[in-house]
Amino acid sequence: MEQSSLEATVDKVLVQKWIAEIGSDAPAAVPLLQAVQNEYGYLPREAMNIIVSETDISASQLFGVATFYSQFRLDPVGRFIIKVCHGTACHVSGADRINTALRQSLGIKDEKEDTARNGSYTIEDVACIGCCSLAPVMLIGDETFGNLKGADAQRSLKKHARQHGEFLPGHEEKRSEADAPEKKSPGKKKKEML
Amino acid sequence: MSAQPSTPVTIIVGEGTCGIAAGAKDVFETFRDMAPETEIKTVGCVGMCHEEVMVEIFDDEGGSYLYGKVDKKSIPAILKFHRGEGALPGDHLIRSSVQPDGAEYLTRQTRIALRNVGRLDPKSLEEYRERGGYRSIEKILTDGISPEEVIEEIKTAGLRGRGGAGFPTAVKWNFARSAKGDEKYLICNGDEGDPGAFMDRSLLEGDPHSVLEGMLIAAYAIGASFGYAYIRAEYPLAVEHFGKAIQDARIAGFLGKNILGHAFDFDVKIKQGAGAFVCGEETALIASVEGNRGMPRIRPPFPAVRGLFGKPTIINNVETLANLAWIIEKGGAAYAGIGTGESKGTKVFALAGTIKRGGLVEVPMGMTIREVLYDIGGGPSTGRPIKAVQLGGPSGGCIPESLFDTPIEYEALNATGAIMGSGGMVVMDTRSCMVDIARYFLEFTQIESCGKCTFCRIGTLRMKELLTRICGGEGTMEDIDMLENVAHQVKSSSLCGLGQTAPNPVLTTLKYFRDEYVAHVEEKRCPAGVCKGLITHTIVKDRCTGCSICDRYCPVDAITGVVKQPGSWVIDQELCINCGMCVEVCNFDAIRVQ
Ligand SMILES: Cc1cc2nc3c(=O)[nH]c(=O)nc-3n(C[C@H](O)[C@H](O)[C@H](O)COP(=O)(O)O)c2cc1C
Ligand code: FES
Repeated sequence: MEQSSLEATVDKVLVQKWIAEIGSDAPAAVPLLQAVQNEYGYLPREAMNIIVSETDISASQLFGVATFYSQFRLDPVGRFIIKVCHGTACHVSGADRINTALRQSLGIKDEKEDTARNGSYTIEDVACIGCCSLAPVMLIGDETFGNLKGADAQRSLKKHARQHGEFLPGHEEKRSEADAPEKKSPGKKKKEML
Repeated sequence: MSAQPSTPVTIIVGEGTCGIAAGAKDVFETFRDMAPETEIKTVGCVGMCHEEVMVEIFDDEGGSYLYGKVDKKSIPAILKFHRGEGALPGDHLIRSSVQPDGAEYLTRQTRIALRNVGRLDPKSLEEYRERGGYRSIEKILTDGISPEEVIEEIKTAGLRGRGGAGFPTAVKWNFARSAKGDEKYLICNGDEGDPGAFMDRSLLEGDPHSVLEGMLIAAYAIGASFGYAYIRAEYPLAVEHFGKAIQDARIAGFLGKNILGHAFDFDVKIKQGAGAFVCGEETALIASVEGNRGMPRIRPPFPAVRGLFGKPTIINNVETLANLAWIIEKGGAAYAGIGTGESKGTKVFALAGTIKRGGLVEVPMGMTIREVLYDIGGGPSTGRPIKAVQLGGPSGGCIPESLFDTPIEYEALNATGAIMGSGGMVVMDTRSCMVDIARYFLEFTQIESCGKCTFCRIGTLRMKELLTRICGGEGTMEDIDMLENVAHQVKSSSLCGLGQTAPNPVLTTLKYFRDEYVAHVEEKRCPAGVCKGLITHTIVKDRCTGCSICDRYCPVDAITGVVKQPGSWVIDQELCINCGMCVEVCNFDAIRVQ
């Protein structure tokens, strides 16, 4: 991937601190990786190497665990992660459309990619996040948005970007006005709840 | 109309995950700013998720008013009313002590597991105590009730596991009780893997102490001195509230050594899941807690004999545990008095999909699916009829409208080909394609299959491929037969529950909605208008106003025309990806899906 610029610099002392706090035996593998990912958004190779050399956890166990659980990512991510729920309720309420809409706003064209070119946002599909009555649902960072239509998702993203000083790429020509406040979108009533 | 309210003294805002998603934090702050003289508290999810944000206001004469769909803008009117300065905000009022029961939603329910959820501040041990909390474990310890007697009481109650399999809780506990070993473990299963269910989240978030007290009772019964709560990482609020409950209980002496001065030690640690459906399965969960890949193993030996770190281990679901304190307090017979034959007590369901009043409902066993959907759920939310309901998620099946009079009982539901499951109940109307639903679940189980056994690993993949082909209009009648054949083989030859139940969504849809499969194959048509390979989007000329909004939202620039010239707009079928964005944004219903 050409996103090597997103690669994190690992702080060895920090990783050692987690090891001291969480433990260095086999059951510590998952919580250690969770601590690493919490900090860096993904699992930098360097951090994993530190864990392997400074604990009783073997490389095969650690990498085995890291590739088994869907929570863990081995590639760098954008500054914010958008989690789009693809649970049953969200699936039947049009979750796919949320992805299409967000990818459009972020200018992600290649199907295999999930991070905007400028490293702002990464789109991730997740299983149910437990607010099925508000389906379809997405999370931007820790913030939950429900009862979404495609256009609402774009609007919420735009607002989030504005609040966090992020720039949405891929808005060429007429696309740039697509996010201008619409006249009356049918999704409007729902959106007021958010 | 209604009597004048008197001065508000307490304002309660529902702050479960769903409440927060609907804007509860904003509502909370607005109340704090506008009514600084009033006490403002937060509670967990009341369960009426369709009404979020929910606010309850108590006045100084004991009157109470429950409001739904509250946002910043509606707060001034609500406060005016309570200060005697304005009319009752009727649009938002769900029920009040002056006008009781606008909501059949609550009256048809029997709340045992959910008895406190939405009624107390989940972060307050005192409030749980005030509502009778920790009285059951106190009674057991101070009255010297033996573990055997506790198990007997649960047996009398007829409680069966709420995690899906419905195994009698007392029988399982007896295995662990009689298993040899000085060290035993109790695990609370809060992995809640069914992607359409949120009962356990709501319990852990909204009433963590009742789950913790349930763990104490179970641990005492089996003789465990340490427990783990395995909670999905996707539920940060549940982890936070349960963690706080553990801390507070430790300080209050309900956890630790010599609990309440008796010879009973127990403590709990939280383990966060890392996103693997199979980890809800007992042996995979154990592997995961031990720090390994969550791969199931062959049973026997059952975990009750050889479980976590090789020691006897009992795994109970969150909801199962939440029932225990109630049963000990009121007696097993009282619990068994609710429900029917082999299915005693109540079951919590997470009602979602195309239903008017979605949310959490707890109903006595024996109530029919129809009663849950129409009397409590209020029927479809879309104006289109309900076609089917999906029970049990990836392990369950779709029950057609014609079987909605089936009572909610383990055996009766199994007979339909679906299962009780953990409580996910996703309602689908005529715009849901049953073949697509089957494909959706197989895609899910195929990804989630741990890969250990061949039938599950390859079988789910083959089924997914066949279903994808059928959804794409490339299937043949032989494919349908092949699908059925593979489904039966995966069911009979897989190692764990994941593979054994993975074919259920396929088999039930084939059984009840075969005509939809045939339409996809023979007519190359998706009757519900869902499957992208079989539908087209076109503009209805006499409805179109030429406003161009569809063009602005089309992600692939497939729509062209001249602004304000209705007749000029067309969708280029070569470019169109059938995403449906245009349908959503069109204000004039001018896009036809065929
Ligand atoms: C693939 C699979 C996933 C499961 N997921 C869960 C789950 O998320 N939560 C749960 O409580 N039980 C789940 N179970 C059932 C558990 O294995 C186990 O039966 C249950 O936790 C026992 O508790 P109970 O007797 O109180 O129901 C799952 C089973 C299988 C086969
Ligand atoms: S299915 Fe999306 S929140 Fe549950």
